[in-house]
Amino acid sequence: MSQSIRPCHRSGSGAALLRAAAVAVILTGSVATQGLGQDVGQNLGQGGALPPDIGSEEPSFTPLPAASLNFYGSPGGIDMPSAEMLPDGTFATTLSGFGGQNRITLTFQATPWMSGSFRYHQMQNLNLFGFKTYYDRSFDVRFRLWREGRYRPQVALGLQDFSGTGLFGAEYLVASKNFRTPAWGGLARDGGRLMVSGGIGWGRLGSYNSIGSLGNRPAYSPTTSRGGEPSYDQWFRGPYALFGGLEWRPNDKLGLKLEYSSDDYVTETQTASSFNRRSPFNFGVEYQWKPATRLGAYYLYGSEIGLTAQIQLNPRQPSKRLAVAAPYPVQPREQWAGPPESWDTTWVDSDETLQGLRAQLAKSLERDGLVLETLELGAETAEMRYRNPRYTAQAAALGRAARALAATMPASVETFRLVLVSDGMALSTVILRRSDLEALEFDPRSSAALLAVAGFADAAAKPGPTAMPGPGLYPDFSWSVSQYFSPSYFDPSLPFRLDLGVDLRATYRPAPGWRISGQLRQRVWGNIKDGRLSNSVLAHVRTDATLYAQQGTTLENLYVSRQWRPGRNLYARLSAGYFESMYGGLSGEILWKPVGSRLGLGLEGNYVIKRDYDQRFGFQDYNVLTGHASAYLDLGKGYEAQIDVGRYLAGDVGATFSIDRTFANGWSFGGFFSQTNVSAADFGEGSFDKGLRFRIPLTSLLGKPSRAGMGLMIRPVQRDGGQRVYVPGRLYNQVREAHRNGLEAEWARVWE
Amino acid sequence: MGEGLGMSRNRLLRQLAGLGAVALLALSGCSRGTEEAPMQLQLLNAARGSAGQIARKARGTAAPARPPLTRAALDTVPVPVLEVTVERRGDWAFLFRTLERTDSSPGRIEQWNTEDSNVTLSLRNGVLIATRGLGGDLLSSAVQVEDGRPGPASGGEQLQMIRNLDYRETALTLSCELVDLGPETIEIVEHRHATRHLQQRCEGGGGRVVNDYWSDPRAGVIWKSRQWAGPHLGYLSLRRLVK
Repeated sequence: MSQSIRPCHRSGSGAALLRAAAVAVILTGSVATQGLGQDVGQNLGQGGALPPDIGSEEPSFTPLPAASLNFYGSPGGIDMPSAEMLPDGTFATTLSGFGGQNRITLTFQATPWMSGSFRYHQMQNLNLFGFKTYYDRSFDVRFRLWREGRYRPQVALGLQDFSGTGLFGAEYLVASKNFRTPAWGGLARDGGRLMVSGGIGWGRLGSYNSIGSLGNRPAYSPTTSRGGEPSYDQWFRGPYALFGGLEWRPNDKLGLKLEYSSDDYVTETQTASSFNRRSPFNFGVEYQWKPATRLGAYYLYGSEIGLTAQIQLNPRQPSKRLAVAAPYPVQPREQWAGPPESWDTTWVDSDETLQGLRAQLAKSLERDGLVLETLELGAETAEMRYRNPRYTAQAAALGRAARALAATMPASVETFRLVLVSDGMALSTVILRRSDLEALEFDPRSSAALLAVAGFADAAAKPGPTAMPGPGLYPDFSWSVSQYFSPSYFDPSLPFRLDLGVDLRATYRPAPGWRISGQLRQRVWGNIKDGRLSNSVLAHVRTDATLYAQQGTTLENLYVSRQWRPGRNLYARLSAGYFESMYGGLSGEILWKPVGSRLGLGLEGNYVIKRDYDQRFGFQDYNVLTGHASAYLDLGKGYEAQIDVGRYLAGDVGATFSIDRTFANGWSFGGFFSQTNVSAADFGEGSFDKGLRFRIPLTSLLGKPSRAGMGLMIRPVQRDGGQRVYVPGRLYNQVREAHRNGLEAEWARVWE
Repeated sequence: MGEGLGMSRNRLLRQLAGLGAVALLALSGCSRGTEEAPMQLQLLNAARGSAGQIARKARGTAAPARPPLTRAALDTVPVPVLEVTVERRGDWAFLFRTLERTDSSPGRIEQWNTEDSNVTLSLRNGVLIATRGLGGDLLSSAVQVEDGRPGPASGGEQLQMIRNLDYRETALTLSCELVDLGPETIEIVEHRHATRHLQQRCEGGGGRVVNDYWSDPRAGVIWKSRQWAGPHLGYLSLRRLVK
């Protein structure tokens, strides 16, 4: 879909820079300055206390019902916005429909004062630009300018569809003020609430009953642009109008809405005749059906009935509560081994004892789902290398590993060196004194107290010469059979396509650090194969997905890789084989990342060949050297920035900027965009590569420990510029969570 | 035309067979080895688990009822037993003592486990200081106890570190006053105990909490208590069935 009305002459390099800067400011700058400051709702029980739940007097950590969402998926009335923000970190999905307008919006409250939305819009019977049913993608961004005070309303600034076709383009400033009212008609935890909002809007929101005009808003012209670029020449231009609304929430379930809309729906009612706009007034009633789901019914514009479903997921309030089996207690040595003077060290010389200790430890770890890689024992020190295939939080694995050592080692062992290992590669060493474990288990602030005495250090590349390997570890063979679902989005003839079937995966590890892995896929049903063919003028490095979907049985990947530690603070990987459905070849990566550092630097080089469409063993006549220099920066509080500079699959050269926010429980959300030397015209629809990604950990859905998660990457348009090869086993994500910042983020779980 | 029809029927049959294969797979997806199972498989296993629960519910064979307790039966138990009920969920269990120790703070620590060791409670002089395995646990606490005296020794501040659902901990400070409600005789499964009823009335975190203890200072034991374990768990009722 065309997305914007950029005149061609604007896509010079200066404009590209400006563009990049604008997006970068929206994505990163603001996060770095303010976003790290406050965390609303986290000072529970410390001043900002919440009222108790209904029917209870107990302190409660359950948040109050969140702001309701409008037809655009933003906090607001019905079709108009308000100045409210969602609880920090909320992922909201809104489905809405009226008058042949169906919208699905994903909104993420990235910081307490900024949110972003991505919307897919379907208009039936519009007959616009040659499409009977017209689909449109658009992005919004909203900023809170100041918070509500006792007399002062909250004020927000919003840019709607700021980079798209401009079809939904609007800018606004809106103020909202809440008033307490008596509760009515049901239970209200914090009483009733009336919210009054009023604002001034441009673009769509200035199209009805405008009261003035600011400059010239360029007209919409689908022929001159491929869209995707911030349309700043339109922002706050043209006619402006006033809008306003009331929302009364008399109890925790019910909401009544009334608003005055300044959107004239010119295109829908005049260019096409989707519906009749007879009145500027909209009415609605909403009901909180489930804690996360709100449903609404509305009467809009004097002629139409509308419906919404608003689903708000808060990473801090997952639907399932994680409960893990209680850990072993740390029993003080005095209780079972007498006073320290009597602790014997002669056991170190008995090979039989050492073997016995290793077996005991391995068994003890197994109960907690951990795997012993090696154990190296001295009279007073134990270095244990272990794998964590179970817990999202590495700190939880660490605590259990330490408890297992405390439960099995002879009394003379005082220093525990715990080395987390990922596929044979040592990630970090955490040094704990056994007497600290004994002294602090029941300390009033046990986790903070343990963190204060824990040491973090780089792990040696290899275990020492006397280290005993875990029993029966190598060679190691694992396999699995599972179902898969592979979605594909935004084909204008069918916006959602799906393949499903069965995956057979197998992994063989002949020795630590080596991995031979493969995945065979059998499609059972799917319609991705009926999708669009590529119209890209670049090499078809990613747009041949339809051709790749023709075969039912495919070899998804088959590769051999080795990862190791070439030196202090250095991590390395070499891989060869079929990496993904479209590419195979050779890949090498090296990463520098000290355990205590916020900064990591990486280099990756790949020589890849495009695979045959049937995804067996053959290759096509397209090969490329692609690689990037990467910088990873932990901004604190879960925000992480990444910049990759290098050469992409189509041979284009440029950089990718991304920012992700990860919560301690594994939820994450992020966005990225790439600028390369491919012109907007050559890139095609969307002008440059960009997208959103998020991940929901399985623990939040199952309530059981797991390291798996459901990830999703959404690109509004998949083109060939700015594309990278997917190589399994990239280093940074393995390393990050085992380093100091990663462990500290989840440290509360160390005693759990 | 006929051929076309035949082909589409073939396709339909193949698709049906495929769907059958998926259904079969839903019952048979599996993994072996030290590698973590793929995400899809974990999800499937969970769905299987909850399908089983629903089936059991439908058959009316949900949770086992609490067995009737008699002193005669309890007299045969040679070790101390603590009965705990999580009031909000109606869950209950018998706990066995697995650890007794002291540390640098006053009071004696006891840790009690369920038989499968999946849940533990830690008490300091009978005052709850930690839970594990319940979800949204009480990670650690500061309580006002004195050596050799069961139950809370005085009013003042109580600190609770709560494990939140986002894996972070939140400090909850409660200001408490301690009230001695005088002697009270209570009965626990046919045994009568002469106790003092201590009540701790606390405020903090926007709410109010009342903890009750029926303490027997001569025996050095809290026979019965009702204690608040944080906003995620609510009140726990504890009864010492076997000393």
